[in-house]
Amino acid sequence: MKILEKMSSIDRRVIFLLVALAVIIPLVANIGLPSRPGKYTIEMYGFIDRLPAKSQPLLIDATYSPSMMPELQPMLKAILRHCFARKVRVMLMTLDPNGPALCEAALREVAPEYNAVYGEDYVFLGFKPGSSAVIMAIGENVRQAFPADNYGKPLSEFPMMADVRNYADIPLVVSIAGSAITQGWVIYAGTRYHASVGAGCTAVSTADYYPFLQSGQLVGLLNGMKGASEYEWLNQRNGYSTARREAGKGMDAVSIVHLLLMLFIVLGNIGYLAGRRAAQKQ
Amino acid sequence: MSTDIWVWIAALLSLAIFSYLYKDNPVFRFAEHLFTGLSVGYMIVLMWNNYAYQYIVIPISQQRWITLIPMALGMLYLFRFVPKLQHLMLIPIAITLGIWNGWSIPVVIEADLFKQMQGTMVNTTMFQNPWDPHNGLVVGLLVVVGVVCTVLYFYFSREHRGPLKVASSVGIWFVMIGFGASFGYTVMARMSLLIGRIQFLFTEWIHLIK
Repeated sequence: MKILEKMSSIDRRVIFLLVALAVIIPLVANIGLPSRPGKYTIEMYGFIDRLPAKSQPLLIDATYSPSMMPELQPMLKAILRHCFARKVRVMLMTLDPNGPALCEAALREVAPEYNAVYGEDYVFLGFKPGSSAVIMAIGENVRQAFPADNYGKPLSEFPMMADVRNYADIPLVVSIAGSAITQGWVIYAGTRYHASVGAGCTAVSTADYYPFLQSGQLVGLLNGMKGASEYEWLNQRNGYSTARREAGKGMDAVSIVHLLLMLFIVLGNIGYLAGRRAAQKQ
Repeated sequence: MSTDIWVWIAALLSLAIFSYLYKDNPVFRFAEHLFTGLSVGYMIVLMWNNYAYQYIVIPISQQRWITLIPMALGMLYLFRFVPKLQHLMLIPIAITLGIWNGWSIPVVIEADLFKQMQGTMVNTTMFQNPWDPHNGLVVGLLVVVGVVCTVLYFYFSREHRGPLKVASSVGIWFVMIGFGASFGYTVMARMSLLIGRIQFLFTEWIHLIK
């Protein structure tokens, strides 16, 4: 009985140590647990997969800061790999002042893998303050929000931007964000300007966006590291990428930690019930 | 092991922060203060470059005097610190609220209310495959019951008795399941952050993961 009671008062450092081991061992041992993509990842992937090569560019908004990198950076890289492999043009932008460095890091890593050419295959619009106001400005004219790219070169000088005026010329907007800005894309770009919007978000905010899937306001949703891992898996299965699956590797650790936490919850409850029963007897 | 000095600094500071998990200590406090100071300094530079310089200094240096109007309106916020003139602060607040409400109300009603109500309704496509877990009749009915019962749980104008009590009791179950899903996702998010740091330590610092 005492062992049962002690279960609800395990030293937190023991729990930290076990969680650390549950994370480190799968990462080092490369377990490779099975992981299959969910419906909403497949829908997002399928939408991009159906876009014709060398057509109008899709718009990716990568609005997140370094604290969200483990979940969202692999997502951005996976989508870029998919687009570059299929020669789908990309406009990349950010509404977070921390974003440009992260976007440039992703482009520096991914673009050379596919010999993607700046200005022909992709353009980096950079950061613009104003969040929802920027989203609406793009609805009128993308040059109103971004007269020049991140490096000061006017958008009119890029051939791939010649026929891009507003959302009517953008087949899909992908909002990769760790904030509520995705809702801004759904409300302003999706509802007001009838743009197709897909999203990638941190796992914390996933539950908030499910209603937009049910109502058809989002074409797909990548949820946290799991979504990124699924997208990487689809890229590899279709031969679009041979890069190391960053998020895929992390998902092994996530699965093991979840099992461990479930065990802790069960043990904690057993300990709590045992303690309460002992108190009632006294 | 890495030979990059910045990787070493990042790795040692990460370990310093992790040391708090054992107990509070001077190494952790040093890393914490360093992080706070650096973040504030970084944000000040970022704000100056991306906001003040771009939207105040450059336009004024180009003699675009119209910039002075929003700038003056913005500066009215500073009257917050002058008790007798505090009311002037209400002017930019009123303008901001007015513009945002004008922009947002129609589209928010459409996106967050009408479209969501539409998403809750059972439609004819659901009859094609009633057991489809995403768009089947069964899940459609479950969504209707869940939404109605949850809304009734938050209906406080009448005492929860009889059918209302039954419905609100069902509603609280849906709310709890929603919280459970959110909690599960939150755990995944937090673990992802830990995994990101451990991946950095084992990949870029000690090169144990290829």
